[in-house]
Amino acid sequence: MSDALAQDLPPGARPPSHGPLHDRHQALGAKLADFGGWLMPIEYPGGGVLKEHAAVRTTVGIFDVSHLGKAELRGPGARDLANRCLSNDLDRIRPGQAQYTLCCDDPGGGVVDDLIVYLRGDDDVFLIPNAANTAEVVRRLAAAAPAGVTVADLHTRLGVLAVQGPRSAELLTALGLPTELGYMAFTAVEWRGRRVVVCRTGYTGEHGYELLPDWSNAGELWDALLAAAPALEGRPCGLGARDTLRTEMGYPLHGQDLSLSITPVQARLGWAVGWGKPEFWGRTALLAEKEQGAARLLRGLEALDRGIPRPHMPVLSVGGDPIGEVTSGTFSPTKRVGIGLALLDRAVTDGAEVRVDIRGRPSTMRVVKPPFVPAHTA
Amino acid sequence: MYPEDLKYTEQHEWARLSSEPDGGRVRVGITSFAQEALGDIVFVTLPTEGEKVEAGQSVGEVESTKSVSELYAPVAGTVVATNPALEGQPELINSDPYGAGWILDIDVESTGQMDGLLDAAAYERHVSDS
Repeated sequence: MSDALAQDLPPGARPPSHGPLHDRHQALGAKLADFGGWLMPIEYPGGGVLKEHAAVRTTVGIFDVSHLGKAELRGPGARDLANRCLSNDLDRIRPGQAQYTLCCDDPGGGVVDDLIVYLRGDDDVFLIPNAANTAEVVRRLAAAAPAGVTVADLHTRLGVLAVQGPRSAELLTALGLPTELGYMAFTAVEWRGRRVVVCRTGYTGEHGYELLPDWSNAGELWDALLAAAPALEGRPCGLGARDTLRTEMGYPLHGQDLSLSITPVQARLGWAVGWGKPEFWGRTALLAEKEQGAARLLRGLEALDRGIPRPHMPVLSVGGDPIGEVTSGTFSPTKRVGIGLALLDRAVTDGAEVRVDIRGRPSTMRVVKPPFVPAHTA
Repeated sequence: MYPEDLKYTEQHEWARLSSEPDGGRVRVGITSFAQEALGDIVFVTLPTEGEKVEAGQSVGEVESTKSVSELYAPVAGTVVATNPALEGQPELINSDPYGAGWILDIDVESTGQMDGLLDAAAYERHVSDS
């Protein structure tokens, strides 16, 4: 065996922070790794990526994703601040609804972060950015905020527990939490005397919820979810399964499929851009790129042999010419085949056969349009 | 915690010597520590039977949902068999790394090579130090 065994621990200048459930994950014997500066569970004993993945697709899985950032904009004009900075159009949603959006670089148009924005009202907007990007998103919004609008980083004020899968509503019902929410809607409730926000959101492609308890109350909620899960054949799931689940849906991961050097046009996230808005970060550059056509586009790859694509592997045409690079790749537990996302020259279209250079060996893959398995979010 | 009747490499392979046929045959797999670290194994690349290999030479790859790791021959010799069950059930390496999850058999000319490998106690020290 090579020393790839150690590759889960990237070098970090600082030791990773601990989330509100760290002691519980340790007690469960979870395998832990650094995610965006936070020591989080990859998988649990008795589970493993394949079993945990299957639980989400067939019953219900419970994830601790408290490493995700939380931030809020408050004060008169908070909503307007979000709408003139972030890419998506807040006119598309009403208070009580959430929206996928992008924080783009200005003027460059590259993606600083992709995030979920929760519209609470004209003067109250909540954000869930990625763990590693939260401070930067908050910094940029604060710099753009008018007098009277405060931008607060609430990273350690709230936990985030994701309950995902076809039986997720049953699990919430068992705890007395509401489940009748449209996709991307949210509501705040009292649970055992403490506030919990229930959101119909997720990163798995299944019907699911994300629960936001206070940081200090996350443990009690986690314990209650875990206690009720076995009756529904549910189980705790780590971030390893979260990655295979989101890859099967073709959902991008910032740092791999999105970055400062990959624009929303290239990542084919134009649906998350309010093109008609007079103002948003990166607008001029992105409109020009959209008009011109991006030089490369993010597309799905599905292996026709036993190859498993991995990030940074070169993609070649059948004739051997370089045409792009894999940005995300894994083994699809549902399809039992290698799948991935790749940035490919614009001339490459869905249905094309390509080669992926897997450590010097060519693997044949087909260019496909994600999702790789049907979504059940609606 | 590691079987006493096996020898080990620092790269987390195990080797089991049997005296049949003449000269000796060494069965090779990866340790429980290695399979645990890799996670769910989904694909194994194996050498072809009849291939001559040197000790320390890469002879295949073990790929899990999240990473891939090279497999090195613990001893020099000729690959005489690979585990046919791994094609359809690579997860046998996770569930039974020293039994049904064996990976390949190497016929060796000299069994003395085994003396250069780690015993169970030395391997356990190596794992706890790393």
